[in-house]
Amino acid sequence: MSAIARSARPPRTGLGASYDERSAFVLILPLAGVLLAVAVFPILYSFYVSLFSLKLTRPQRVPFVWFDNYAAVFADPQFWDAVQRTVAFSVIAVVAISVLALLVALLLNEDFPGRRVLSAVLLIPWAIPYVANALMWKWIYDSNYGALNGLLYQLDFINSYMVWLGDADKTLPLIANAFVWKEVPLATILLLVGLKTIPSDLYAAAKVDGANIVQRLFHVTLPALAPSFALVIVYETMMAIRHFDLFFILTEGGPGNASDVVAWRVYVETFRNLSFGTGAAMSYILALTTLALSYIVLRTLARRI
Amino acid sequence: MTHFSPLNRRSFLKTSASGLVAATAIGRSRQAFAAEPIHFATWSAAVDTVKSHIAAFEAKTGLKVEYSNAPFAQYRETMITKFVGKAPVDMMWVSDSWLPEWADAGWLAPIDQYKNLTAYNADVDDFCNASMTYKGKQYGLTYYTDYMAFLYNADLLQKAGFSAPPSSWAEVAEQAKAIKAKGLSQYPVMIALAQESWLIEFISAMLFSHGGRFTDDHGDAVMQDPTTGAVSTLKWLVDAVHKDKILSPSCVETGELAGLKTFSSGQHAFALIPKYRLRTLNDPKQSQIAGHVKLALMPKGDKGSHATVGWMRFYGMTPRAQADATRAADTVKLIEWFGGKADGDYRFQKLLFKDIGAGFGVKSLFKDPEMRAIYATYGDVDLIGQQQSLARKKDVVTTWFGEWNDVNGAAWQQAILGKTSPEQALKASADKWTALKKQG
Repeated sequence: MSAIARSARPPRTGLGASYDERSAFVLILPLAGVLLAVAVFPILYSFYVSLFSLKLTRPQRVPFVWFDNYAAVFADPQFWDAVQRTVAFSVIAVVAISVLALLVALLLNEDFPGRRVLSAVLLIPWAIPYVANALMWKWIYDSNYGALNGLLYQLDFINSYMVWLGDADKTLPLIANAFVWKEVPLATILLLVGLKTIPSDLYAAAKVDGANIVQRLFHVTLPALAPSFALVIVYETMMAIRHFDLFFILTEGGPGNASDVVAWRVYVETFRNLSFGTGAAMSYILALTTLALSYIVLRTLARRI
Repeated sequence: MTHFSPLNRRSFLKTSASGLVAATAIGRSRQAFAAEPIHFATWSAAVDTVKSHIAAFEAKTGLKVEYSNAPFAQYRETMITKFVGKAPVDMMWVSDSWLPEWADAGWLAPIDQYKNLTAYNADVDDFCNASMTYKGKQYGLTYYTDYMAFLYNADLLQKAGFSAPPSSWAEVAEQAKAIKAKGLSQYPVMIALAQESWLIEFISAMLFSHGGRFTDDHGDAVMQDPTTGAVSTLKWLVDAVHKDKILSPSCVETGELAGLKTFSSGQHAFALIPKYRLRTLNDPKQSQIAGHVKLALMPKGDKGSHATVGWMRFYGMTPRAQADATRAADTVKLIEWFGGKADGDYRFQKLLFKDIGAGFGVKSLFKDPEMRAIYATYGDVDLIGQQQSLARKKDVVTTWFGEWNDVNGAAWQQAILGKTSPEQALKASADKWTALKKQG
């Protein structure tokens, strides 16, 4: 340590910490206490719960079962079916969000009349609460009186009303569509911020080198947007994997098992079956998977940036 | 001469402290004198009617009632959380579907020892008494009961040339096909088969009328057995959707309320709907087919009868209330005030019937001139009573009912969607039942 740094250091007291250090410690103590109470403790406690066979309807018998709940979840074929559906939903949703958000961001990055109005309108889906969004799509998709059937019928695209959410083959893509509609605005803003940070010199240099608009997109814009894309992909993947509201309001996991995803399984296990031990174990599996995926995506993209 | 002395910090603290001590002492002495109220929990139905009946009880007895309610959709979870958290609850509404679960967990106390309550059993329909009984003990007094009804649009039937409603499921299919062929309805049959709490009631009604059962007398699964009626019930539904096209494929996303709306808009000729909806359906302010909706006995399957499913909601009492003799006596009074007679009359059951059309399990009320007159404005009271006498309790109400119900509902939907055969769906349901029964 240099002499200047040593002399700038506050005088130490007999307790080994300076007055400033102790003051800082005292000042952050309340916040640290709150964080411990509302974040750290529940996380640790839920892990503790996941080690018990805790079922609220059987309050007299709560044995400690080590990792049996985790083993039971991994051995349950219904869980793996739900994992497959979660992956399918997440892939559809994240790809669609990324592509649409990029197109809209590129559009809003240009100067044209009405750009500000369009930007403001774009934020409306983002501002709508998830539950309201789900109820709105429930009305749109309804097979008997839904707006989608009404529109297609009036435009002569269909001869009779179609079954939408009730058709197991269409259920997941339709829910993903409602999810995409809500999530595209935020992704667009994130990408737009990225676009604004690309130096115009890069485009000028590319033009001088004879690059056309498509070449500039693939060789200048997209590489420069990689950090923003990483953020969008990580965030939207986390949102899609853990998403619950649309599944709850639109289909309740049905029809049959068509929309029985992992987040829905966690809800059913915890709040319907009141099996808190298994529910907590599933939640941990879901959280750790999300964390691992985010880490992999960030690492992969960071290497390329 | 007195002179003004400003309140200094020390005297302010002294005064405040003595005031606080005095206030606490007064509060405690008041608490000691005031009896603890009876804690009564319900779901959020007929709230004003309940409150007014509580007020009348308080005025008559001098007892206090602490009333709380929660939405039905979250009621079971809310109550279980209260029980586990040892929140004060003395009396509450209970669904027959939760009876084994709550009784086995020790959250419900039997009422057999209160003879003034069990004396009402003689005037209550058998399936209602059976629905309040678990392992030989009775756990409550009737709040309301209802059953799944087969309703038809008489106007549409007349236009199609039918003078009488169908009496068997085969006739339902025949009449529906004729109505469809004449262009009177795209999907003449409406059965709401969305995955919700009503689903088990719809399929149980059809199952019982087909002479079927989910379980035998020992509680073992028989739903997968082709001779017990479940397979033929599910096949009827699959054929109705895929072969005859008389039931919309969207039935798997249609809930009870949505089904009520589409039936009341005149889109269908036949519907399975809870009986209490008959009043709404024949109310011109709420239904486009008011005056044309009639009840028929549940159609019979090949080996079946006109049986249907009935459900029961009742007043239960907690062990907490029973632990103290005075509290138990007060709670029993309140249970009788609501579930039995108040001032010599089934006053609350009548209020509920007038207020929301809720059915009653009390046989003598079917003979009450006032009730008959109200029923007559929208239905055939004798036929309503006859169908109620054929109602049966669900044979799947166990501690694992909820968990099995989710799997069973999904299995039926899978078959109706054509993703699996009825036999495979019912085998999956039976396997789940057997596994859960083994776990206990």
